[in-house]
Amino acid sequence: MKTIVGKVVVLGHQGVGKTSTVIRYVENSFTHHITPTVGASFFSCKILIDDITVKLQIWDTAGQERFKAMAPMFYRNANAALIVFDITSQQSFESMQGWVVELQRNVESPMVLCVVGNKIDLSKNREVTRDEAIQYARSIGASYHECSAMQDQGVGVVFDDVARGLIRLFGNTTDHNLKVYDSENIDNIMASSSELEATDTGKEETVNLSIRSIAHGNTVKPKCC
Amino acid sequence: MPIFALQRSYKYMMYATKQPSLRINQADLKCKNGCGYYGNADWDGYCSKCYRNHMDQERQRKARQSHHSDQTKISGFSKFEEKKRQQTDKKNKYLKSLPVFRKTSSVKDSGRPERHLDLRQANPDADKLMAEFISLYGVWGDMVRRDFFKCVQSFTTKIYSELDNKPIEDIAEMAQKYYNLYSNRVNSTETYQEVTTDVRDELLDFFEKYVMVSLYSWLFCPPSTNDEEKDLIIQERIRKLSWVNAHHLDCCISETSIEVRDLVYTAITHLLGMDSMKAPQEKLACVVNCCQSVVKVLQHCQGGPVSADEFLPALIFIVLKANPARLKSNILYVTRFCNDSRLMQGEAGYYFTNLCCAVSFIENLTAESLNMPQQEFEAYMNGEITSVSAWESALVACEGMHQLCEHLSLLKDLSQRTTTVQDETQKLTQDILKFKDEINEKVISVLEKTPLIIKPRKTPEDLKIEASQIAAIKIEVEETQPQTNFYLQNLQIGQNNLGENKTKLQLDITSCMDKQQSLEFLSPAFESLEGATPDDQNSLSLSKINYDIDFSDLSGENSVAELTPEKRKSPSFTPDPFSPVGSSCTITQVPLVPSQVESDFVLPFVEGEKAGEETLLEKEDEAANLPSPIKPMTSQYSGFSKQGWQIPSIPCITGDLASSNASQSNSQASTSHDN
Repeated sequence: MKTIVGKVVVLGHQGVGKTSTVIRYVENSFTHHITPTVGASFFSCKILIDDITVKLQIWDTAGQERFKAMAPMFYRNANAALIVFDITSQQSFESMQGWVVELQRNVESPMVLCVVGNKIDLSKNREVTRDEAIQYARSIGASYHECSAMQDQGVGVVFDDVARGLIRLFGNTTDHNLKVYDSENIDNIMASSSELEATDTGKEETVNLSIRSIAHGNTVKPKCC
Repeated sequence: MPIFALQRSYKYMMYATKQPSLRINQADLKCKNGCGYYGNADWDGYCSKCYRNHMDQERQRKARQSHHSDQTKISGFSKFEEKKRQQTDKKNKYLKSLPVFRKTSSVKDSGRPERHLDLRQANPDADKLMAEFISLYGVWGDMVRRDFFKCVQSFTTKIYSELDNKPIEDIAEMAQKYYNLYSNRVNSTETYQEVTTDVRDELLDFFEKYVMVSLYSWLFCPPSTNDEEKDLIIQERIRKLSWVNAHHLDCCISETSIEVRDLVYTAITHLLGMDSMKAPQEKLACVVNCCQSVVKVLQHCQGGPVSADEFLPALIFIVLKANPARLKSNILYVTRFCNDSRLMQGEAGYYFTNLCCAVSFIENLTAESLNMPQQEFEAYMNGEITSVSAWESALVACEGMHQLCEHLSLLKDLSQRTTTVQDETQKLTQDILKFKDEINEKVISVLEKTPLIIKPRKTPEDLKIEASQIAAIKIEVEETQPQTNFYLQNLQIGQNNLGENKTKLQLDITSCMDKQQSLEFLSPAFESLEGATPDDQNSLSLSKINYDIDFSDLSGENSVAELTPEKRKSPSFTPDPFSPVGSSCTITQVPLVPSQVESDFVLPFVEGEKAGEETLLEKEDEAANLPSPIKPMTSQYSGFSKQGWQIPSIPCITGDLASSNASQSNSQASTSHDN
């Protein structure tokens, strides 16, 4: 059974419900997998899909405009990005596009992108149409979901989709940051390992001696008959 | 700089071997001023007092020289800078003040074996870790240990040999490679086969820790980089930004709550503690602790889950207020030498990234990022405006000032609350008046709708008849009352007596028995009681329960008696004068006589002052033949409960009897009361 560890960043404008979405998801379905620090903005949870355990590490980010410059630090080495916007706010939709541009500029390795329209419980105040959002998501090669963190609609689907995306990503590419526990560069390291041992044999003896003397206080005498 | 490092380690060696030629003269240790006290290398060879004078003079001289340049600086900064400079020049000072060590610097190229020696001798921490390793993982056998130290050794020597040739980034990469290498080794080689998965992870951690602690002095803030300058720059930057408070950052940290303040201080302490740790994971742990405290602060201030939108500003605030030493060096060290897998993911990685963000925010902080006009920002930066907040004063200014600020904000808060309370009061008064009017109106309207008309009284005929019937029944009931209510009456009296005379034990056993009437109201078990042995009577559970009551009632008294469960059993049933009414009479208690009296049996007695103590036999006779002088009145019967009459009356207090009476004769021990 494979285990995939994927880092998921949650991006989006302030107040669109990034944290609420994540907390809703984590609280709902994975109560026993949450790290003890609930209430913080970091979560890890496990999803089992088709015999593959996907361990998601969800990094919440600050959405304020003033912290935008710092975002690259967060999505460095990320495997997936949830880009959240508020369907009742055209502004959040536009600012989200800004996040995506930044993201695409700063991340070279392939990444699972998932656009999430939050707050569908307030659909009577809707400003961003579903079609508009879907069209945009397609243009950047992302999937699109709508959910309501408050009323707990469609939140699970979002993360399920991310997990499946990670599995696909792992299947398609060899050059990725995903941590997979049957990694293929073991050979590489084993080679250097043997090389290392060969060069350092001379020193090993002395080290061992010194360690033994520390461990036992004196050298071990051979037992007589 | 590696030269310094070498020299430093040599210094340890010298102290260890104590070569006579390297001995320092006593005079060298004395204060340079010649005041007789011992000097210190840290204080330029002065003693503490002379050093202070010296520094004062220096400061005055400097102040005169650069009068205007100091003005822009925030007070206290120069002092801090001085401290920092001392810290960084420490190594040089040591060498300068103790010329003996200069000679040894020529040994620097003497080859590898020397260096090995250095590595081990220079690191008491590493030795400690080695002992720790053996105590923790010794159980996994020699092979594991040998392999572990083999890897450590090859790692350290390799890094050490490359230290001078390669830039620090390459060395960091090498370190990462070694971490991976060891990880694979632990997970795949036979040596570690028996080691459990958890312990394997621990071993990896320990590997990293051990190696980094051994190499700390070379890898932390290495001389080939400008980390130190960066440290100073960020320090100064934070100093200049000391006016930034929670409001500027839009984070809601309450300034007056004691819990919040404690948590903030905890966070700051953790962050400051980072510098004193050596291994990268220990530094990371400090960051995590700090961040968790920040999360707690936010939870305290706003409640509910904390999002990154709130967390990052709060962390920036903490970093600004803490101004940790060598912040940049620490961050760079962790970034370079902490195992990548830990830094890229997991909680520690997340918080560390947040810290990096906070630092980068501080570095690039502008008026725009604080949402304030450029002019105001510059005024703050130049020190033209100073803001004093509670936090500011707590961390920088004196305690009095801090308290003043705290009280000010507290007062502000209170005055706000007072105004709201006043407003509410007014509103409430208005509401009350309004309500009153409304009610009045309603009442009037109701009255108008349904006027009260008093009509002449009419009594229906059949009702009158009924009333007369009821009266007749009442009379009947009253006639029967004496019998039916008898028991209830008794109960009441008993209760009263019990309440009034707690100190005296009164239990009535037989008073009611004379009266056949009363018997009917009592337990049906009565018949069997007659002629029964005391034991039989004891088997009545209720009598037992009541013993307990006796005990407790009398426990506070001085009278002595032994608890005797006996009941009188003569068929004639001499009435027991020991009735509840006894309290009002002269007789208070009458002891009960057991059926089979043993010679040394101690009977209960009550009041010593009533001296009529008799022998058991006498007592028995008396009890059997003499009627009680006071005949219990039927109406005065009282009992504790339904079975009250069964309760043996045993006045008893154990202790005194044993001590005073046991020594006396039997006659004294068994007592009775005459009346």
